[in-house]
Amino acid sequence: MKSKSSNKGLAAAQRRTSLIYMAPACILITVFILLPFILSVYYSFTNKMLVPKAGKSTEFVGFANYIKVFTNSATAKSFVNTGIYALMVVPAIIILGTLLAVFVNKPLKGVKTFRAIYFSPQIVTMTVVAVVWSFILSPNDTGIMNSLLSKFGIPAQSWLQDSRLALFSIAIMYIWQTLGMEMLIILGGLQYIPLEVYEAADLDGCSGVQRFVRITVPLLKNTMVYVMLSVTINTLKLFTQVYMLTNGGPKNATTSVIYQLYKVGFMNNQQGFSSAIAVVFFVIVLGISLLQNYLMRDK
Amino acid sequence: MKAENETKRNIKLAVDYGLYTLIACVFVLPIIYMFVSAFKTDAQIVSDMSTVKAFLPTGKLSFDNFVAIVDQVKFFRFFKNSALVTLLNVSLATILNAMAGYCLGMLDFKSKKTIISLIIALSIVPSEAVVLNKFMIVNKLGMINSLLGLAIPSVGYPMFIFLYYNHFKGMPKELVEAAIVDGETYGGVFWKIMLPLSKPVLATVTIMGFIRSWGDLLWPTLVTRDETWRTLPLALRALSTDVYIYWGQIFAFSSLMTLPVLILFLVFQKQFIASVTSSGIKG
Repeated sequence: MKSKSSNKGLAAAQRRTSLIYMAPACILITVFILLPFILSVYYSFTNKMLVPKAGKSTEFVGFANYIKVFTNSATAKSFVNTGIYALMVVPAIIILGTLLAVFVNKPLKGVKTFRAIYFSPQIVTMTVVAVVWSFILSPNDTGIMNSLLSKFGIPAQSWLQDSRLALFSIAIMYIWQTLGMEMLIILGGLQYIPLEVYEAADLDGCSGVQRFVRITVPLLKNTMVYVMLSVTINTLKLFTQVYMLTNGGPKNATTSVIYQLYKVGFMNNQQGFSSAIAVVFFVIVLGISLLQNYLMRDK
Repeated sequence: MKAENETKRNIKLAVDYGLYTLIACVFVLPIIYMFVSAFKTDAQIVSDMSTVKAFLPTGKLSFDNFVAIVDQVKFFRFFKNSALVTLLNVSLATILNAMAGYCLGMLDFKSKKTIISLIIALSIVPSEAVVLNKFMIVNKLGMINSLLGLAIPSVGYPMFIFLYYNHFKGMPKELVEAAIVDGETYGGVFWKIMLPLSKPVLATVTIMGFIRSWGDLLWPTLVTRDETWRTLPLALRALSTDVYIYWGQIFAFSSLMTLPVLILFLVFQKQFIASVTSSGIKG
C-alpha cells in the first residue's frame, strides 16, 4: 500500500515530467501551426501585404477577400480544378485499389513480392514522378504514351500542353504513385476480416459475388471511408506537379488551391487575400474530416 | 477427372501470375525508364522513345550524365542539404513527438484532456494552408535560408503525437508503476523501458517523416533564397525548367535522388509495408 504523501509526490513528479517532456513539441506546434493559423484567420480580413509598401498601412477590409475568393476568376477556377482533380483521382483509387487488394489477397507463392512491387512507386518522390511522367507524356508523335496509344488507333495528344488533358495527366501521375499504397491499406482491412466469417458463408452456400457484396464490403467500410477521405484530403493539397510542370497553365487549367495561395501571397504580395484562400481551404478540409468522423463513428 | 481439375487449376494459376506480371509492368516500367535513360545520351533517349527500347539498356551506355550532374549541377551539394534537413527533421520529429505522446498516453496531469482535443483539432490543419503565415514567422525569427528554417517548423506534428498517444495509451500502466516502485523516474521510464518497446511505431513515424521531408517542395521553395540551402527537389525543378532541357542529366539526377530511398525501402521493406497496411485499421 502506498501512503498518501508518496501518492502526492508521484502526482507532482508526473506533472513535472509532463511539463518538461510536452514542452518542445507543444512550443513548436504553437509557433508553427497554431499561430500561423490564427494569423491566417486574422489577416484574411485585412489587406496585409507580405512585403509592406511605404505609405500603405494594413487596414481591415471586412469580407472583401472572401468575396474575391469566389469572384476572382483564377482563384475560383483553382477551387474547381482541385475539385475535379479529386473527382478523377479518388474514384480511380478506390475502385482500382479494391480490385487490386482482392486480387493480391491470395495465398500464392511470390504474391508478397508483387505487393511490394505495386507499392514501390510510393518511394519515388513526387518531384521525380512528375518529371519522369512529363517525359512519358511527351506531346510529339514519338512520345512513349502517344506511341503506345497509336497501337490502339488513338491519335497523338499534347497531354500537359492541352488545357483539356493537363489536369488528367497530373491525376495519372498521382494515381500511379499512390495506388499501390492504398491497395496495401485496403488489403490490411481485408485481412482484418476473420476467416471464420467467410467459412460460415461458404457453408451457407454463398457465391463469390454474394460473399464480396454481403461480407467484404460492409466489413471493409471503415477502411474504405479512411482511404476515401485521406486520399481526398491529399488530393486537395495538389501543388508539386503543378509547380514542377505547368505553373498553373495552360490557360489556368491546372491552377490548384495551394498553388494559387502560394502565387497570390508569395509572388503577388497579397498576404491578406492569400490568407482568405487558406481559410476557405481549411473549412473544406475540416468539413471532410468531420464527415470522416461521422461515418467512422462506433455504432 | 482429376487430371482435368489439375489442368484447370494450372491455367487459373497461369492467368493469375500473368496478370500479376502485367500489372507489375505498369508500376515498374516508369522507374526502369528513369534508371535506364540515365545512362543514355539525349539523342539515344529520344530515338528510343517510341519503342520498347525506351525501357532497355540500348546504344552506347556511359556515366557521362552522372559526371555532368556531379560536376556542373553540383548534385552532392544539394544532396548534402537534403540529407541534413531530413536527418535533423526526422530525428527530432520522431523523439519530440514521442515524448509528448508518452505523457499524454501514460501519465496523469491537469488539463491533459484539453491538450489531447487540441492536438486532434490541430492535426486537421493542413500545413500547406498556413504556409504563408508560417513563412512570415520564420522570417521574423531570422531563420530564412538556414538549416533550422528548413528543418524545424515541421518537427512538431500533431498527427505523429496522436499516433504515439494511441500507442502509449494501449501499453500496460503496470510497467510504469513497477519501474517507479523500483526507484526509476518518469523520464527514465520513457527512455529505458517505453522507447525500446515502441520500435514498430518509431519505425512508422521515421518512415513517414522521411518521405515527407525528403520530397517536400513547397516549404523549401519559400525559405531558400539561393543555392546555399537548396534541396534536391528544388534543384531538380531548376534543372527541368532550364532554358535547355538535358534529358539524360534530368534522368541521372532523378535516379540518384531516388536511390537512397530505394535502398532504405529494400532494407526496411517489412516495416514499410507493415506500417502502411495497418494505418487503415487504426485510422
